[in-house]
Amino acid sequence: MDFSTLLAQAALNGLVIGTMYMLMAIGFTLVFGIMRIVNFAHGEFYMLGAFSAFFTYAQWEVPFVFCLVIAALTIGALGALVERAIIRPFRNDELSGMIATLGVSVVIQNAAVVAWGPTPRAMPNVVDGVLSVGPFTFPLSRLVVIATAALIFAVFWFFMQRTRTGRAMRAVAQDADTALIQGIRVNTIYPIAFAISVALAALAGALMAPIFSVSPFVGLTPMLKAFVVVILGGLGSVPGAVVGGLLLGLIESFTATALGSLVADILQLLLVILILLVRPWGLLGQKEA
Amino acid sequence: MRRLLTALLPLACVLSAPAASADSLKIGVLATLSGAGTAWGMSMQGAAELAAEAVNAKGGLEVAGKKYKIEVVAYDDKYKAADALTAMNRLAFDDGVKYVVGPLGSAPALAVLPVSTENKMITMTMAFTPKALSADFKYSFRPVIPSDVFSDPQIKWVVEKLGGKRIGGLFPNDESGQQVGAANEKAYEAAGAKFVAKEFFERERVDFVPLLTRVLAQKIDVFELNGNSPQTAGLLVKQLREMGFKGPIIRTGGDATADIVKVAGKAAAENVYVHQPIDLASPAIQNYTKRFEDKYKIPLNAFSPFFYANLEMLFEAMRRAGTVTDTDKVRTALLALKDFDTVLGKVNWTGQAQWKSNQQLDAPFYVAVVKDGKPVVQAKCTPAKCQ
Repeated sequence: MDFSTLLAQAALNGLVIGTMYMLMAIGFTLVFGIMRIVNFAHGEFYMLGAFSAFFTYAQWEVPFVFCLVIAALTIGALGALVERAIIRPFRNDELSGMIATLGVSVVIQNAAVVAWGPTPRAMPNVVDGVLSVGPFTFPLSRLVVIATAALIFAVFWFFMQRTRTGRAMRAVAQDADTALIQGIRVNTIYPIAFAISVALAALAGALMAPIFSVSPFVGLTPMLKAFVVVILGGLGSVPGAVVGGLLLGLIESFTATALGSLVADILQLLLVILILLVRPWGLLGQKEA
Repeated sequence: MRRLLTALLPLACVLSAPAASADSLKIGVLATLSGAGTAWGMSMQGAAELAAEAVNAKGGLEVAGKKYKIEVVAYDDKYKAADALTAMNRLAFDDGVKYVVGPLGSAPALAVLPVSTENKMITMTMAFTPKALSADFKYSFRPVIPSDVFSDPQIKWVVEKLGGKRIGGLFPNDESGQQVGAANEKAYEAAGAKFVAKEFFERERVDFVPLLTRVLAQKIDVFELNGNSPQTAGLLVKQLREMGFKGPIIRTGGDATADIVKVAGKAAAENVYVHQPIDLASPAIQNYTKRFEDKYKIPLNAFSPFFYANLEMLFEAMRRAGTVTDTDKVRTALLALKDFDTVLGKVNWTGQAQWKSNQQLDAPFYVAVVKDGKPVVQAKCTPAKCQ
């Protein structure tokens, strides 16, 4: 393998991982921005999305596009329920809310072990084969992830910028009280925001399931990475989550390919510490007054 | 009032605890029941529960004219030494357990063995570390055959048969991964091959493509999976094949075949050589596999029958010793069993020369290659040689 192939391979790997981090981090940061909740159960919704894709795609053989839609809708609806039942009572109590989501995470993960067992399950790839361009070969399954994630983000961005609900959500993020005075139903916005957030996690899970396999424990790593990404990009900032996610994926891939995984992990966390020291509000976040 | 309640609380607890029946015998399970090592932990819990089921179906274990119902108490150590120690203390002091299936991992084993030894509890460990058996740990038995016994003959066989000269491998970055990596490198070099790419990674990692890119850039002939948990091994096989690696992949290490095939898929798992602790063609093993898979709905991990065999021996030792409480007598009776017929076939104890403790189960093992998702035995091994 020559140097340029290695670079191209590393860039592609970085983009795949980066888009997953991006989808995870957008949802994570969205809920924080709007509801001031750090959702520790975010990774479990990723896992549920992966299982949803496993059942619909690998077992019932539904076309993959519909599997994504089903994952987003069912897990999103579940998210809205969780918000109503468990998160809402802690609306003005960030610490208790955080601990409640930690509880939700433990409950979901262990329920998944009870229901589906701990053994990992493999899923067939959505597309098989490789794309060969000159000396480069890219597995098609990974290219599909990048394209789909980009599409999902485009839809999400359009929703946030151009629809009434999207605008209302941004208004609530800026100032919930003022939004309320303007006639925005904050009590409807919260569950919608939470549902969209976990639906994005579920979509990430469903997209990555064929690549990384499915088990009740797959949510842990993406959750941790989402944390790192939002620190990089700025807690509460959606553009920050996009930039941070892609950046983290690329950094991780290049450093791991060039220097090995241990150095890559060290560098990643050094970067986080550096950001916290120099720019604690993140690359694109807003400095708190 | 509150003070009165506080004073009464311990009493209430004592009263509400289910009264231990005089005729029940508790067997503890201390293993990893969540996270990446769960397949192994379930294999141990399953062995204990199935052994208990078999005995209870016959009305219980008869020792010195008294019948005992076997009861299984299981704790999850999450593959962590601290959790294992908490669980062992509970087994010893709260549950009053004298016999434990476990501990599983090497680090947990080293943490709990001093406690179990001090309390004269007989343990059956899966830990591959050489320190798990020693003259100091008088009550520590090991039913599974550790990699430092089986890896040398298997690696020798693999290098000779497949002719691989350049070996690559990824190992978890912790005490056991580092140890396995070093031991593996030595064994391959002794067999005449060269370890050209050795990388370490944190256990939570799921995307190995960057690391595999590095390894494949070294133009390896053979990839070694030793030291990785079943799920990780499966992901490695899948991603290696996706990147176009067609050479043989070797699993010198704990049984993970079922998970490798499940995660990587049948096509990718083709041409994977695995350590096979049991002979899948034997009727006793087939019967055991059926019982296990009917009950737990997960594929049998090949370590499970070793614990079952150890329990069969333990129950026989109790009968012969005429006691379930005096673990010194039970231990002596257990060690006296020779050519004892178990689910694995006839087994013995060994290990005096290597660990100064004759408490290692002695059984043959096999090398198999995965064909159409199933391991097919290629060679039968003893610690000296595979053929």
